[in-house]
Amino acid sequence: MDCHVLVIGSGGAGVRAAIEASTYGDVVLISKTIVGKGGCTPMAEGGYNAVLREQDSCGIHFEDTMKGGAFLNDPELVKILVAESPQRMDDLIRWGAVFDVTADNKVAQRPFGGQRFPRTCYAGDRTGHEMMTTLVERLKGLPVETLAETTVIDLLKDSDRVIGACALDEKGDLITITADSTVLATGGGTRVFDISTNSASGTGDGYAIGYRAGAELIDMEMVQFHPTGAVFPYDARGRLVTEAVRGEGGILKNVLGERFMKQYDPERMELSTRDVVARSIATEINKGRGTKNGGVYLDVTHLPREQIENRLPVMLEQFLTFGVDIRIEPMEVAPTAHHIMGGFRITQRGETTLPGLFACGESTGGVHGANRLGGNALADTQVFGKRAGEAAGMSEKRIKNIDPRQIVAQRERLSRFLNGSVSPAVVARELQLAMWIGAGIFRNANDLRSTLAKIMHLPASDLKAVSERNLSECCTVQNMCLTATIICKSALLRPESRGAHVRTDICHAWDAATSPFAHTYISHSREGIERRATL
Amino acid sequence: MIRLSVMVYRFDPAMDTRGRLVQYTVEANEGARVLHVLHAIHDSIDQTLSYRYCCGSGQCGSCAVRVNGEPVLACMEEARDGMVIEPLKLAVKKDLVVDLMQNIDAIAFLVPRAELVFPAKDEIDAIKPLRSCIECLCCISVCPAMDVTKFLGPAAMRQEIRLALDPRDSRDRITDSVKEGLFTCTSCQACWKVCPKNIEIPGKAIEKLRAFANKKGLTLPRHQEVAALVKETGRSVTRIEPTFLEQVGEVLEPYGTGIPKATMGFFVGCMYNMRLPKTALDAMEVLRRNGFRIIIPKEQVCCGSPLIRTGQLDILDTLKRKNIETFRSRGIDTVMTMCAGCGSTLKNDYKNLPFTIMDINEVLTKYGIEQPAHLPIRATYHDPCHLLRGQGIREQPRQLIRQVVDLVEMPAICCGSGGGVKSGMPDEAAALGKRRGEDIQKTGADIVISSCPFCEFHIAGHTDRPVKNITSILLEGYKEKDKKRQ
Repeated sequence: MDCHVLVIGSGGAGVRAAIEASTYGDVVLISKTIVGKGGCTPMAEGGYNAVLREQDSCGIHFEDTMKGGAFLNDPELVKILVAESPQRMDDLIRWGAVFDVTADNKVAQRPFGGQRFPRTCYAGDRTGHEMMTTLVERLKGLPVETLAETTVIDLLKDSDRVIGACALDEKGDLITITADSTVLATGGGTRVFDISTNSASGTGDGYAIGYRAGAELIDMEMVQFHPTGAVFPYDARGRLVTEAVRGEGGILKNVLGERFMKQYDPERMELSTRDVVARSIATEINKGRGTKNGGVYLDVTHLPREQIENRLPVMLEQFLTFGVDIRIEPMEVAPTAHHIMGGFRITQRGETTLPGLFACGESTGGVHGANRLGGNALADTQVFGKRAGEAAGMSEKRIKNIDPRQIVAQRERLSRFLNGSVSPAVVARELQLAMWIGAGIFRNANDLRSTLAKIMHLPASDLKAVSERNLSECCTVQNMCLTATIICKSALLRPESRGAHVRTDICHAWDAATSPFAHTYISHSREGIERRATL
Repeated sequence: MIRLSVMVYRFDPAMDTRGRLVQYTVEANEGARVLHVLHAIHDSIDQTLSYRYCCGSGQCGSCAVRVNGEPVLACMEEARDGMVIEPLKLAVKKDLVVDLMQNIDAIAFLVPRAELVFPAKDEIDAIKPLRSCIECLCCISVCPAMDVTKFLGPAAMRQEIRLALDPRDSRDRITDSVKEGLFTCTSCQACWKVCPKNIEIPGKAIEKLRAFANKKGLTLPRHQEVAALVKETGRSVTRIEPTFLEQVGEVLEPYGTGIPKATMGFFVGCMYNMRLPKTALDAMEVLRRNGFRIIIPKEQVCCGSPLIRTGQLDILDTLKRKNIETFRSRGIDTVMTMCAGCGSTLKNDYKNLPFTIMDINEVLTKYGIEQPAHLPIRATYHDPCHLLRGQGIREQPRQLIRQVVDLVEMPAICCGSGGGVKSGMPDEAAALGKRRGEDIQKTGADIVISSCPFCEFHIAGHTDRPVKNITSILLEGYKEKDKKRQ
C-alpha cells in the first residue's frame, strides 16, 4: 500500500492531522483501535484552553503556560499554541462541536489550575469525547482511508528518510504502507506505570517506534502525575477524576478533615498546578493522613446538585456505578500517571529530527515543558495536529525504496515471538510495578538506576505470542519496556527538581526560572542535557 | 480476592463452524468489572481470548458485550459469579469481538453550511443530551426492527435528530431519516433501556423526527387516517360492536358487603373499549370480586399515544386536557389503566397530573387478591414493552400469573404491534409477530398471557395457542374455584 501521507494514531492529534493532510493528497490513517475510540482524547474530560475574551490575552496564556511548565517549554511552540488554539476551536465549532455556551451564546469557559483567567472551554466533563466525535464526523466526509485495529510495529526507512511503516493487521499479518511523509500521532505512554489514567492504547508505542528509527526525544523524564485518580475499585484504580471537579469548586481534605492545600499553596489552593497538587496529596498519604483505600477526599457535596449534574455528569455516572453518590459523599482520590510532557523534538511545522517523519500531540515534547496545564493538551492536539498534517501534506512526492532487509528483520522479530516463552502480560505487570515504585512522583538516582536494571533484565525479547493475533501484544510490551527505559535514563540526565520531575537526592539553589538547564535529549546516537543560554 | 466462575462465548472463524460457551474460573479483586475478568482469563488462562476494550472508564464504547443476555459495557459492569459473557448480537469476528464498523460507518455526519451559524444556547441545550452517544452499539444489539426490516437503527436515528436540531448542518435530515427507516421503530424502548448513557432514543429521537416528518407531510397515510379518526371521534379505532363504556355503568360497586378496599378511576383506552371489551369486563369482575370500587367516566377519550408515537401532535393537548378534567372533576385520586400503552403514556407523556396513575397489575399486587384455583395449565408470559420498559413493571404480572397457572419464561422481545408499526408497516409487524409465535412455540406453553390489548390482539394472529389477558385467566381461576365449591 502506498500513499502521500501516512498518519499513525487516531486520537485528537492524528485525526486532525489526517483531516488537514487530506487537502494535499491521499492519506492513510492507521489506528491500533477503532478511529474515535482509541487514544486518550475521547477520555479527556475537563477542557480546551483558548483565549476567547477581550479581558484575556494570548500573552497571559503564554505566561501561564511557561510558568506552569517551569520555563522548560519551547517558547516558540508555546506562542503558536496560544495564538492558534482559538482558530482551531473555530474549526471544531464549524464542524459541529457542541461545547457548552453561556446565556449570551458564547463558548463557556471555566477556571483550571495554574491559569489567571477562566479560559478552559468545555462540553460538560466529556470535552474530549465531544471533540473526537466532531473530528470523526469531519473525517467521514473526507477521502481518507482508515486502517482500523492495525498495529504499527516499526517505521520503514530509505537510508535516513522515513518512508512509511510496517504494521500487523487484526489477524497478525504483516503489511507495509509506504508514504511520502509519515506523521506519528501515537499519544502518550503512562501505561508503563502501575497506576495510570491512560486508555489501553497509552503504551508509549510511538516513542519506541520513533526512537528505534533514530528520532530524538526531549524531556522524557517529565511525566505528569494527575493529582486526582480514582482508588476504588482496585482494578479501575488510576481512572481519571477530572480537574474540572476542582474547577467547579471541589475541595481536597485528608482523612482528618483538614483542607491540606493550605499548607502547600495557600494562594491557589486546589487550583494550583498539577505537579504541586499531586505532590501534596502524595505527601499527605505518605504521612499517614490518607483514607484506608489509600487516597484523600475530594468533596463537591457543598455544590448545588444541578451544578454537579450538569457540569460533571460523567463523574457522577462513573462514581454512581462504583457505589458513590458524589452529590452526598466525597470521592476518594490519589495521584495517577497521566501525561508525558516529553516526546519527539519538533520544529514549528511538526518535523522531527528524521527526514520524512512528523509528529504531533502527546508524542511530542517542548510544548508543555516540565508540567502541562490542564486544558492545554486538547488544544495542543488541534494546533499541532493541523500543523503536522499540513507540513506533511505539503512535502514532495518521492519514489520510495523499501530495503528488503528491514522486512526480513521484522519477520525474524515476529517469529521469535511465536517461539518465545514469557507471557507479555506478566512482563508488562512487572514493568508497571517497577516504574511506579522507582520512577514515580518522587525520584532519586539509586532507585532510577535499579529500576533501569530491572527493566533491562525483563525478558522483552523472549515474549510469547500464542498465535499470530497475539503478535501485536508482544510488540506493545517491547515498546513499553523501551519507553520506560527512556523515561528512566532521561530522569537520570536531569540533576534537578523541575515541574513534575522531583529528585529527592539533589538539592539546588536555583528555581525553575533561574535553572541552568534546558531540555534533556536522547536518541540512538546521543543523550544529555542542554544548558540554558545566559538568562 | 474473590473467585468467579464465568462462561465465555468462544468462536474462531478459522477453526469453528459455530460458537460455544467455555467455563473459566478466575481470581479477581473486590469490585472487579466484567472487563477485569476477561483480562484475568486472557493473562493467566488463555491468551487467545479476543475481546475489545480501550478507555476502561465507560467513555469510548469499545467493550460492549452481553452479560446474561443484556448488553453492557464490560468496563463498567460489575463482575458476578456465574455470569455468561457473550458478544453483542452483531456479526462476530472472533470470540467477543464483533463488527462495529458496518453500523458506525452508516451513521450520518454533519455537512456544514457555507457560512458559520453559531448555535444559540437553547439549541445547544436541545442537542447536548443526544451528544453523549459513545457508539457502543448496545442499542443495535437489542433493536427488534433491525432484525426483520431495513432500518439503520437507534444510534443512527439519534444522530439524525442531533443533526436536524443543529443550525450548522445543511442537509434535510428528516427526509433522510424516513428513508433510513424512521417508521419501522416499534417504540419498544429496548434501545434506551440498555443505553449506557441513558439516551432516550424513542422519545427524544424517533418521536421528534416523526413530528418533524409530520410537518413536512411525510407521515404515513395509515397514520394520518388514525389521526383523522381521533380528531373526529376522540377514539383511535372505529366502533364495530357495543363498546365497554356502553356496557357498564359509571360506578361499579364491589361484590359483597364489606368496605371497598379502594376506589379507582378506570381509564379503559380505545382498544379495550372497542376491540376487546370482553377482556375489560373480565377485569372489572376480578376487581369487584377483590373489593374494589370502580369509577368509569364516560367522557374519557383516546390518551393520545397513537398520535405521540407517530409524531402527530396537533390535537394532543386537547385530548390531554379532556382526560385530565374528566377524572379531576370527579375528585379521583388514583386512575387505573389496564392498557400498557395508555398507562405508559399517562405516566410519561402527561405532566403534572392531579392524580396518580397505576397499572392494574400494580393495583392487584399492591392490595392483594383472593387466591384463585390453580389451573392445570402451562402458560408463558409476553412482557408488553410499554409495561416492562415503559412503566418498569416486571414482577407484578408474574406474581399474579403464578397464583393461577404454571409459568414458563421466554425472552422479553417486542411483538411488533407498537409505535404505529402494525398499521403503518404491516409486513414488519407480521415478521416480528411470527418470531414471537416461534418463541411461544419453543416454550411448549399451552397458552400465552399478556397485559396489553395491542400485544394480545397482534400475537393472537401469530400463534395457535390461546392468548389471554392476566385478568381473564384470573377470572377463570375464580370460576374454577367456585365450581369446585359447589
